[in-house]
Formats: sequence, C-alpha cells, structure tokens
Amino acid sequence: MNDSLQKQLINDLLIESFEGLDRYDAHLLALEQGQSGTDVWNDIFRAIHTIKGTSGCLGLGKIEKVAHAGENLLDLLRSGSLQPDQGMISTLLRLSDALREMLRTLEAQGVEGSTDFSPLLTALQDHITPGPVAQPEASTPVEPAGFGLFDDDTADTVALKSAAPEANESSGGFGFFDAPPSSYAAASGGTGSKPAANAPGTKPAATAAPSAEIHRSAASDSAIRVDVSQLDKLMNLVGELVLARNQIVQKTVGYNDTSLTTAAQRLNIITSELQEGVMKTRMQPIGNVWSKFPRIVRDVAHELGKEVRLEMSGKDTELDRTIIEAIKDPLIHIVRNSIDHGLEGPEGRRQAGKPAEGLLSLRAFHEGGQVNIEIADDGAGINIVRVKNKAVEKGLLSADQALRMSDREALNLIFLPGFSTAAQVTNLSGRGVGMDVVKTNIEKIGGSVDLSSETGVGTTMKIKIPLTLAIIPALVVTAGGERFAIPQVSLLELVRVEREQAEKTIEYIYGAPVYRLRGQLLPLAFLKKELKLSESTHSEDATNIVVLQADGRQFGLIVDEINDTEEIVVKPLGKHLKGITCFSGATIMGDGRVALILDVLGLAQHANLIPEVNEQKQTSGRKQEESRDDRQTLLVFNVGTNTRMAIPLSMVARLEEIARNKVEKSAGQEVVQYRGQLLSLVPVAQFIPEAAGEVDAQADQDTMHVIVYTEQGRSIGLVVGQISDIVEESLAVRRDSRRQGVLGSAVIQGRVTDLLDASGVIRSFDPSFFETSLPAASNPEPVLS
Amino acid sequence: MGSPKTIMTVDDAATIRKMISMTLKGAGHEVMEAVDGAAALDALKDRPVDLIISDVNMPNMDGIEMTRQLRKTATHHRTPIILLTTESAQEIKDKGRAAGATGWIVKPFKQEQLLGVLAKLFP
Repeated sequence: MNDSLQKQLINDLLIESFEGLDRYDAHLLALEQGQSGTDVWNDIFRAIHTIKGTSGCLGLGKIEKVAHAGENLLDLLRSGSLQPDQGMISTLLRLSDALREMLRTLEAQGVEGSTDFSPLLTALQDHITPGPVAQPEASTPVEPAGFGLFDDDTADTVALKSAAPEANESSGGFGFFDAPPSSYAAASGGTGSKPAANAPGTKPAATAAPSAEIHRSAASDSAIRVDVSQLDKLMNLVGELVLARNQIVQKTVGYNDTSLTTAAQRLNIITSELQEGVMKTRMQPIGNVWSKFPRIVRDVAHELGKEVRLEMSGKDTELDRTIIEAIKDPLIHIVRNSIDHGLEGPEGRRQAGKPAEGLLSLRAFHEGGQVNIEIADDGAGINIVRVKNKAVEKGLLSADQALRMSDREALNLIFLPGFSTAAQVTNLSGRGVGMDVVKTNIEKIGGSVDLSSETGVGTTMKIKIPLTLAIIPALVVTAGGERFAIPQVSLLELVRVEREQAEKTIEYIYGAPVYRLRGQLLPLAFLKKELKLSESTHSEDATNIVVLQADGRQFGLIVDEINDTEEIVVKPLGKHLKGITCFSGATIMGDGRVALILDVLGLAQHANLIPEVNEQKQTSGRKQEESRDDRQTLLVFNVGTNTRMAIPLSMVARLEEIARNKVEKSAGQEVVQYRGQLLSLVPVAQFIPEAAGEVDAQADQDTMHVIVYTEQGRSIGLVVGQISDIVEESLAVRRDSRRQGVLGSAVIQGRVTDLLDASGVIRSFDPSFFETSLPAASNPEPVLS
Repeated sequence: MGSPKTIMTVDDAATIRKMISMTLKGAGHEVMEAVDGAAALDALKDRPVDLIISDVNMPNMDGIEMTRQLRKTATHHRTPIILLTTESAQEIKDKGRAAGATGWIVKPFKQEQLLGVLAKLFP
C-alpha cells in the first residue's frame, strides 16, 4: 500500500472511529440508565469490532490489541453470557477513552503513542469470568492475515480440518467453502453446465452498465464528507463576492443603463442565495456538541455522588461550525457547573421534597435570527445571600453595595472574574475557568448570557448567539472623516437632535455628557474623542446619537453621520492589532475602502461608560468620587420641609401610611404594632443634617408615611415626608461619604437628589439591627464605593 | 490476471470498504460498494457481478443472512461470495459454508491476500 493511500485510509479510520466511539459511549450510558436490547449491544460490539478490524488492516497493532481485548468482553455481553454491571460499564468507558487517546495521538503524531494500557487490558480480562464461557478469540490469537476457499477442503475432511483450519493453509487464514466458481456451477448441477463467469447471458450485462449502477449504490449514502478547510475557503470566496457585489450594486446606482441595472440586480440576488447556500453547508446540528454531554454528566454526577437525568431537546438546531466550536467549552463548563453547584445531592433533594434524581435539561431553538440555548436545572437555585457574602468576602464589592443590590444584579455577580460560590473549588467546575470566561467567550461571538434563578426551584441559563459570524448586518457611520461599522446586534435606536436643541438636551453631570432619552439619562460618548480622530470639516446641523447596548447597559455614541445599514463581511484584525479593544475587526466597503468594525463593549469600557472588569475590584475602596452608571428603580420622597431624597426600590419592603394616634412609645422609641410585631419607627429627618432643623411639614397631619425596610425577617420603619414618585433612572451617582445619612447625589428627573443611606441611618438608630445579617454589621461605618 | 471483474464490496466500516475498493480498482477492477447486507441485496437485485466480498458483522443484515438471501436469487445463485471474518473464525466459517458462501478472508488482511483470493477465483 502506498503512503498516500495509507494516510488517506488512516484519516478515514480516525473519522469513522471517533464517530463509532461517540455512539458507543452514548449506548453504554443509555444501558446504564436501564435501557436495554440486544440491538444496542450489537451496535456497541460493532463499533469496537470495526475499529479492531480496520486498525488491523492498517497495521495499527496497538489499537487493534486494545480493541480486541474489549471485543472479547463485548462478545460475551451481547450474547447474554455475561450480565453487565456498573463496574463493567466503567471499564468499557475506559476502553473508549483509551482508544480515543491512541487515535488522537495517531492523528497528531502519526503514531499510536506509548501509553501503557495493560491495566485496562487486565480489567477487561477480569470481567470475563473464566470457566464454561470460552473466550472466543483469546484462545485463537489473531492469525496472520489469510484467506481461503472452502472448496480446498473436500467435503469429508471438513470436520477434521475444522479443528485446525489454519494449519492446512499454507497461505494462512483463508479458504473456500465449496468448489471454486469455475467448477462451482458444474458441481452444484444447476441450470447451466458452464461456469457462471462465462455464461453468455450474464457476463455482458455485468460489464455493460456498471458505472451508472455503481453511482446509484454509492449514492445510497447521499452525504459526502468535505474537508472543513474547503468550506472555509468557499465561505471566504463568497465573502469576497459579497463585497464585489456591493461595489457593483453601488456603482450602478448612478447609471441609467437598464440592462446593467438588471444584471446587477440579478447578481445581487444570486449572490445572496449563494451566500445563504454556502452558509448552510457550514451548519452543524448542536447535537454534535451535545453528544458528549451524557458522558460528562455521568462522570461529574458519579464523582459528586449525585443522581442526574439529562434531557435534551432541539438537538437538530443548526449553527455555523465556528460558533459551535466557540460555544463548546463554555457549554461544557455551564453543564459541569449546573451539576456541581446547581443540583443538590440525593439526600438534600429528598429533604426538599424533590425526587432524588436531579434534572438537567438542555434546549436549543431558533428565534429571531438567533439561536437560543437554555440550560436549566431543578436544583436549589442560587442563594443570593451567599452570592453577596462571597462577593463581599472576595472584595468584589462593598457590604453596602451588596445591601443595595437587587436580586437580579446579585445573580450577575457570579459572572465577575475571581468569583466562585463553591465552598471549596472542586476539581470539576473549578478548572481555572470561571463563569466570567464563559460569559466573555459567548459575548465575543456576539452572544449574550442571561441567568435566572428561583430558590428551591432551580436555575436557568439562557444563551443567545448569532447564527453565523462571517457575514453580519451592520450600521455604517462616519466620524472624523472615517467610516466605521457597528454590528446591528448591539444597536438599539438612532436619535437625531437638532443643533438648537442639542445644547439644551445634552447635559453634563460632573463633566460627563448625558442625554435625556424619554425621561432616562443616557451616558454619552463622542466617537471622535474616544478614537482621537481629527475634527472634520463636517458642519454639524444636528447631533446623531447611536444608542447602543453593551453588557446589559445602554449608552449613546455620538457620530458625525449615519450612513446606511449593510451586510458586511467580517475580516479579523491582524495579531498586532488584537490588543486594541475598540475594534473587533475590519471590513471592505462597497467602494473598496476598508472600514473598522467597532467593538461596542470594548468601546464602552474605553469610554468608562461600563466599568472594566478589573475596575470593579477597586470600587471597594472608600473614597472613589468617580461617577458610575447605575440603572435602578428608585423611590423618591421628601424629608423634612423640602429635602428631596431617593432610595433604591429594591430596599423597600413596603410603603405604609400609619395613623399618628397608633404610635406608641417603648423604651424611648416610637413603635407601632404592625403585622403582629412591634415596628420601630426611625424619624429619618433627624439623621439628615439638612433636614434636622426643619419643621416637619407633615407633623400636623393625621397619618405619616413609613417606608418599611426588612432584613433577615426583621423590619424597621423609616418615617419620611411625602412620597413623590417611583422612577427608573440611569444614575450617574456622585459618591459622597462626608455627609451623614447620604450616600451621594444624582440628578433625578432634572433635580439634584440625595440618595438616602438607609442602612447607615438604621445603624445609627439601632446598631443591633444588622447583627444577624450581612457582614456589614461588623463594619460600624457605612462603606461607600 | 484475466479480464477486469465487477466486484461488490459490502462492509459497514467505510475505511475497510475504501481499502478493498482502492486495492481492487488498483488492479483494474470495477467496484461497487454497499454499507450493509440489506443495501447490498438491494443493489444486487437483478444485477449480476463477478464477485461479492462481504463483512459478516453488519447492522440491518449481516453477511451470513445476505449470502443466504442471495443464494435464493437466480442472479446470484452461484456468484462467488467471500466473507471477511474476524471473531470466532471457525463458527463463522461453518455458518458461512452452510449459508452458501464461497470462501473467507480473515481480518486483518493485507492487499496481497485480497488479490490472492482473486487470483484463486479467476485463474
């Protein structure tokens, strides 16, 4: 056999064997789950049998030997001579691991590798009970390759020769059963006395129409294998074609030649169809990645002593293979995490009144031009308090921030770098990769991750990813005379502000530009300034704001001009430009010029509109005066005569109106009977220096407004003046630690409003209130960020 | 070797199929392929060939059953059928003989062995 053929065949062997082993694993896991059937065993047997036979033919002795050892055991299992147990299945899974390892080494280095698999061989052998069950082939070692015709044995010596057939065959291992074909026909009597090969009727037919027939039978498997690099090349070419098409279409706009315009239109349509078609060839079902999951789930569950049932739906959902590659590791990590941190052990589940077996379900489906993947478990859900504590412990945020944080925000803490909730890092999920890497990887391909959790019910992670990365719709904008492409996925809306208006509507809060968009503050960035572009001669009669979304937050990007939306072909940037976070790639425009593609997240971080990951660690420092973008729902109220204040709604358990005549005194404090408890009332005005001297405007009224604040089952009432509004604002908060009772200030609804330091006030009123709650209690002063 | 033959090779292992068909094509023969016994039966219906080389252990229909079925047809009543065997060689050989197969080749085999069978069949 010549080298190139050998190489080709080994390549085929690799593909075939990996596929076979995946099936093998899947079947074994199904068997372990209690499914059974001889067909399944036959299939399992055949996978190894094929590897053994093929590797033998290609002279891969080591693979053959290991496969052969497994085949012996599998032969007994499929015939029912042996009953499988869990130990046996574990050994059989080790077998596929060993074979994979050798095949991988073969793929990478061209040799089978030097790992010693004798422990595995012994283990396989140990499962084969010695005794009445013969080892089918162990006793007849693989014979030297051979063949034969049975006819070489005469009928009456068959039985004798059967005992040692090879001994009689000089060429070894082959034989003929009856007469060779030349005499077969004669010996069997039959219709013709001539050998079949010479039969006049059949022979011509045999050679007359072979090629057509061959095609038909070969086409029985109508799929062909195509080298991925070939597809990549095609995709690249289609990309170039799309660019050329864009140029032609753009150029023809100026012409009045109907036939040229028609041709350009046709080119346009055909190119789009071709693009779609080529894209489809690169699509792979997500099941290709998922097929590994049953095994991973099994191994992880076994190691942790948990019982897990895996359900998968939407296996056929197709994705571009580059995306499949990109999400493979993040998905594996999420699945591991769900079993490790999400699902409880059987005991814990029973106590929670759930079946001992946890459920992990994977779902994939197309929606709105995107692929949605959901990973859900029915575990304990994420313990928000624990997450917060952990984040505080790790210095990712201050105790006070933790108190003010909404549940949803707290959930997202697990995506922070350096965060891990497991009491101890197990070797399963804690492989040096945190959820932050998972999130970054998914966002890198234009996807998003969303986490929701319900205590005691489970956790669901939703991932949205684009279908393909190669060609994306984008908005083309101009700034400083240069053109830039902004991926459509991050685009929310476009706002055009006339010049006269711009001066009024674009405000500055502590030097940071903001725009009031439908009553909300939108932080702004000037593209020209961020990229240090030269001032253009462009006369600005209006300000164009591109409203973008990055990392779940919105910001406005001011550009000179908004040009058009276009399908752009993404070209990666060279290695030396990879360090620039503002750009994610480049593309060639219709006129042949290059435009850079903006990396929205990177740009937002560059403009300090979104805290960079490392920055978040520093925010636990005390005297940061930087403004930070915070989008929150706030309760706005008055204290004293006219001091306007706000508090995050997430901190408010309830709003009550309490009649003044219900107020009683207890130990010098005002209390009221509230839901069967005594609710202490904190006169907030007395803790705010500005309001302290003021007359309580509400003092003569019959009722008073109380904000009920609850922490760890204990409640306290904050007595305030008029409740004025509930607003949702993108806050640019100026932190200020010097003013008592105030966390800082922000512009809310056009007015400077102080944020009430609720926990600080409560702590000064009743230092024992927080004792049983968050670590904040150990910190007598409010920690500001 | 005499005139070119038309040979059907049946194996669920694509690599083996390719190896056989490359070897035979290299020797100037016409080769057909089928992925299992059932597919082969289908392709060989009213379609004479000079030789069938088939694996034994295959999904859907194994080589033994395929041989049995082919022998019932007029077209393949006496087409030479060579079985590729690996496991429990003797048992398979006995079954193969009973089903009406012509001969066997033990896997793993080398190209020369394959051509050797042809040389014996078509002297």
